[in-house]
Amino acid sequence: MEDSEMSIDGTEDLLGLISGPFSSSYISPPSESAELAALMCGLIALYAVIRIILEQDVMRKLPFLNVFSFAVSGIMALLIPHPLGIIAAATYFIGSTFESNAIASTWAGGVEE
Amino acid sequence: MISSFLQIAFAAICCWVLFITIDMIWALPREGGVVGAKAIAAAVEKTGGDLRGGTMMGNIVSSPDASAGTLLAACGVYCFGIPGGLIATVLVYIGNRICYDPGYAGTTGCFLATFMVYLGTQIGIPAEFFIIGMVIAILTIQGISHRHSSRLLGAIWRIRR
Repeated sequence: MEDSEMSIDGTEDLLGLISGPFSSSYISPPSESAELAALMCGLIALYAVIRIILEQDVMRKLPFLNVFSFAVSGIMALLIPHPLGIIAAATYFIGSTFESNAIASTWAGGVEE
Repeated sequence: MISSFLQIAFAAICCWVLFITIDMIWALPREGGVVGAKAIAAAVEKTGGDLRGGTMMGNIVSSPDASAGTLLAACGVYCFGIPGGLIATVLVYIGNRICYDPGYAGTTGCFLATFMVYLGTQIGIPAEFFIIGMVIAILTIQGISHRHSSRLLGAIWRIRR
């Protein structure tokens, strides 16, 4: 645990030397509770992927894909505690929803007239 | 550690109740917003589920609804406080329009969830627990048993109607 904290401190020093989003004063290493939440999100994402692989019906794969997108956008926000993190998570989530929408509509026979 | 899990469970229940309530108020189970939502509803019904509950699950997949709004509001409050939640509300509104969704369930849900998560942080539950709480809440609806969750949603819809 101490080793990992030391390496995080070292990385911070390194990032402080270069300019960019990660040297912003807004960002700080994720707290312990955020790491617990990210770990649980990761386990749920893994479970969702296994269910997607095992499911035979393409239409019924999509709700599991939805769970996967929730977990991944949660992880993105948890690991980037920066105002831009919310934009990254929201854009990823909306994009993946739009893709699911497109897959479902195409598979079901195209856009309604 | 135990208290962390209790806080996560409490946050998950809050998120579950909020997003189901708002989706029911905006009548997501009434009809599929796009043709893909109807196809998902038909697939869920074929396995012994409820058509109305399946329609709501299809609508959740096809467009950012109140569940997505709650997740992104929690992410926004975690990253940037109340302004972050309001940024998330604008993004969900844009997402609704991109996905041809005529409703406002996502926008309403995100706006209300911003204040719910902010209140949670005031009473000692960190915003990151609302993020994992919402992921657990969507897992119970979309990720465990489509047959049982669609029946549950159908039963709630019949009470609401």
